[in-house]
Amino acid sequence: MKKKILSLLLCIMMAASLAVGCGAKQENTQTNETNTETSNSSTSNGSTEEITLTLWSIATESDAFHPAYTKAIADFEAANPGVKIVHETFENQSYKTKIKSAVAANELPDIFYTWGGGFSKPFVESGKVLPLDDYFGAYQDELPEAALTNVRFDGKLYGATYTTPLSAVFYNKKIFEENGLQVPTNWDEFIAVCKTLKEKGITPIGISAKDTWVIAMTHDNLVLKSAGPEKVAAALTKSGQTYNDPDFIAASAKLRELIDLGVYPEGAAGLSNDEASAMFYNGDVAMFITGSWMAGSLQTDPENPEDFDVFQFPAVGGNGKATDFMGGATDSFMVNASTPHKDIAAKAAFELAKSISKYAYLDGAGIAAWKIDYDDSSVNPITKKIANFASEATSFTIWYDTLMEAEDAGEYLALLQELYMGNISPEEFAEAMANQLEQ
Amino acid sequence: MENSLTAKLKSTITYTILIIWALINLFPLYWMFTFSLKDNREIFGENVIGLPRNWLWSNYTAALTTGNMGLYFINSIIVTGLTIVFTTVFALMASYALNRLIWKGRDLVNSIFMLGLTVPIHAAILPIFIILRNLKMTNSYQALIVPYTAFALAMAILICSGFIQNIPKELEESACIDGAGVFGIFFRIILPLMKPALSTIAIFTFLQAWNELMFAVIFISDSKFRTLSVGIQTLSGSYTTDWGPIGAALVIATFPTMIAYSFMSKKIQQSLMAGAIKG
Amino acid sequence: MDSVRKNKLAIFLFIFPAALLFTAIIILPIFMSSYYSLLKWDGINKGVFIGLKNYMDLFTSKSVGFPKTIGNALILAVLSVFIQLPISLGLALLLSKGVKGERFFVSVFFIPVLISTVVIGQLWMKIYNPDYGIVNVALRAMGLDHLAKPWLGNQKTALLSVFIPILWQYVGYHMLLMYAGIKSISPEFREAAKIDGATEWQIARHIIIPILKPVIKISVIFAVTGSLKAFDLIYVLTNGGPAHASEVPSTLMVSMIFDRNLYGLGSAIAIFIIFLCFFFAITIQKFFKAEVD
Repeated sequence: MKKKILSLLLCIMMAASLAVGCGAKQENTQTNETNTETSNSSTSNGSTEEITLTLWSIATESDAFHPAYTKAIADFEAANPGVKIVHETFENQSYKTKIKSAVAANELPDIFYTWGGGFSKPFVESGKVLPLDDYFGAYQDELPEAALTNVRFDGKLYGATYTTPLSAVFYNKKIFEENGLQVPTNWDEFIAVCKTLKEKGITPIGISAKDTWVIAMTHDNLVLKSAGPEKVAAALTKSGQTYNDPDFIAASAKLRELIDLGVYPEGAAGLSNDEASAMFYNGDVAMFITGSWMAGSLQTDPENPEDFDVFQFPAVGGNGKATDFMGGATDSFMVNASTPHKDIAAKAAFELAKSISKYAYLDGAGIAAWKIDYDDSSVNPITKKIANFASEATSFTIWYDTLMEAEDAGEYLALLQELYMGNISPEEFAEAMANQLEQ
Repeated sequence: MENSLTAKLKSTITYTILIIWALINLFPLYWMFTFSLKDNREIFGENVIGLPRNWLWSNYTAALTTGNMGLYFINSIIVTGLTIVFTTVFALMASYALNRLIWKGRDLVNSIFMLGLTVPIHAAILPIFIILRNLKMTNSYQALIVPYTAFALAMAILICSGFIQNIPKELEESACIDGAGVFGIFFRIILPLMKPALSTIAIFTFLQAWNELMFAVIFISDSKFRTLSVGIQTLSGSYTTDWGPIGAALVIATFPTMIAYSFMSKKIQQSLMAGAIKG
Repeated sequence: MDSVRKNKLAIFLFIFPAALLFTAIIILPIFMSSYYSLLKWDGINKGVFIGLKNYMDLFTSKSVGFPKTIGNALILAVLSVFIQLPISLGLALLLSKGVKGERFFVSVFFIPVLISTVVIGQLWMKIYNPDYGIVNVALRAMGLDHLAKPWLGNQKTALLSVFIPILWQYVGYHMLLMYAGIKSISPEFREAAKIDGATEWQIARHIIIPILKPVIKISVIFAVTGSLKAFDLIYVLTNGGPAHASEVPSTLMVSMIFDRNLYGLGSAIAIFIIFLCFFFAITIQKFFKAEVD
């Protein structure tokens, strides 16, 4: 019996030491362990002629950004003989899990796609991401500072962004015309449009409350356009502004107002984003509030793409303006701090970002984050219109679930669903968020 | 007369139940197939269960030409095949030792193996990833075969034990009297009688390994070793997804499953019919 | 015989490969997770040791809502033992009696298990869709409009609506196990009982089911542990929503670990799931052993 207990104890100790070892090792390994696996080129280090950089992204072959990536990589390889880029793509949702695990286990590739803001904050804090300030000089004039706010941490630059998505209200022109409706320019008109549609038996707005980020697209806008960008940023990044504030409560109350008006399809809480947006493409709902990526799908998914158009989310009152936009550059490339080819990898991150910005914009896949110094007359009209919104924007605020740290973002999305279902009131929502943020 | 009437009624009811249940279970197959030939408009609302209006065989071309589906398919076969081999061999050996050999701590070890049924895989991802990394095993077939086998073992041992317990001890004893050693008994008596268990284990292990997604995404970064389930996943874009080609890819992925299964189930039944086991 | 059965070399050789794999891939991660569960850790940076606080949070924090997920998982376990398994057993018994097309039926009943969860998930989303879903269309066609509901989007119906596909999909799984078990019972038993004038029901009840006990035990263990770990279909259909109505321990764990970076708390949930599964697996084994004796 004693023997058994002893061996069991031994076992536990061994396992525990292994576990602790892993935790503690993380700090000192990153410097001396030059990730032999992540850089395929380490074998050819002796010759230094052929450098292979591995790039991970979510631009799968079916993704709207894929052609832009392919062209950008080809351009880079042509301009930098001897450098090869291996592009590995993964599906969006599972990539989030993959990249977190890869950071934790020190298995990052040379360059990786990631989202700015709260998502990448722990990566940067772990010291496994290379600061890019030393390499940014050459690109300063082409990549505006406004596109880098979400990839700056503690004043240092860690990522190269390439697209500036923003959210807007997409609408079915045909339905609007048939019912004699004008594009609303303020909140009251917006509500009036919804009411008219409702009376005519048309569901005004499509939404998915199952994929919670879709409700957030609307709620983020309401908050921004009633509290204003400064207040929002201060509250969500915990800089001396409580979330439990009349402006925030009013915004949540506006969402409830919409729900109680019955502007959303019945059962939207069980619909996925794919199902909900299909309703919009099919003309079953008149409007859809989401990011500019919908402009690309509107060219392919509906029967008559010319029936669709876009307008900016109206101001709601309080401190917000219609030209304060939800959105901003967050998709970015970061460089592994322990890559053996720091210089060329950092250069590649910027060069690729620059080319993808251009090609993706020309494809209508996304709004360019870099300066446009080329002919963009061939871009589809909706994308172009959104690009104009972007150029006239007075401010950008990135989606709250990206802006906040993961823990707070998760709670925000969960609470939004509760608010949508009517389980909690706008006041309770604001209070719960305030508690979460003050923890 | 009355007897045959009730018998007839009974068999009518039996068949009605069986046929209705069969239809319910065949429906997904029909649905998957028609789904693979539609576009998003039909899939989402316009024509959910009907036959496709235009048979979009191009979905299959799209699925097959995306990425390197042929290679992913072969990778899946290699990974799944080896997983099945290792799982069955190790499970047979272990369950014989756990049920028929006599040693201290047998019950304890038996219970510990049950732990394999309890671990939620998402929580195990990071620990296993770290272990595999320390063993320099990421980005290889082993990175998947090793964890798949380990996770399939618990189930396989349980199933094997169920069958081994049904083998009468007298068979082994008489072989022993004939002078057979423990290895002789295992290979000549036990193994042949375990055939039905083998096919059952093979089917369940196959399902686990063939469809597994999370380990395959995280432990494999080099697309040389990518498996089919991950390959299919990359058919979806980040904000919009063309579902038709995904349907097509899933049909292609399910096809070998069906063949493997019908082959195995035939095996199960043949070996059972042989009546080797006298309960 | 006993000396043969005590062959040390054989015991070692037989058990070693399985034990080695098992220790490295199952046991070690369990220890690592139990250590993680004592940390406040984002999964990436250095964790802070906080003792049992994560476990306390599981049961006291309202925003985590863990006890309810355990309740939901137990409901699923009960449904699968008392509804799914009897259906599987019934089908296995019917088929093994020797009906025409036996092989065909066995194969067809297993199809849902063979089809990827993605397909099953998409299919049931179509079945439950509030507009064009098969359930609501059928209800409306029968004039029962008031019963038509957004099944997955309603907090009252979501839980049962996600459980039904899970139960349905695995009927064939258990049926196959039981069918293989029944078929391995010698037909002579049945014949002998028939000659003695036993009815089909009596044969099933007094001859087949008792011999089938080891298989039923396995099925019950799989059904219960599977229910406590259920994830895939729920994730696809509702992702635990709306407003946690269909949340189960695994969906909560995944959202804690990977969405909220609360790796410590997520690990605590994992350890709890492991404990519950292990507890039930052992209890079920004990229960069946007691039955046999």
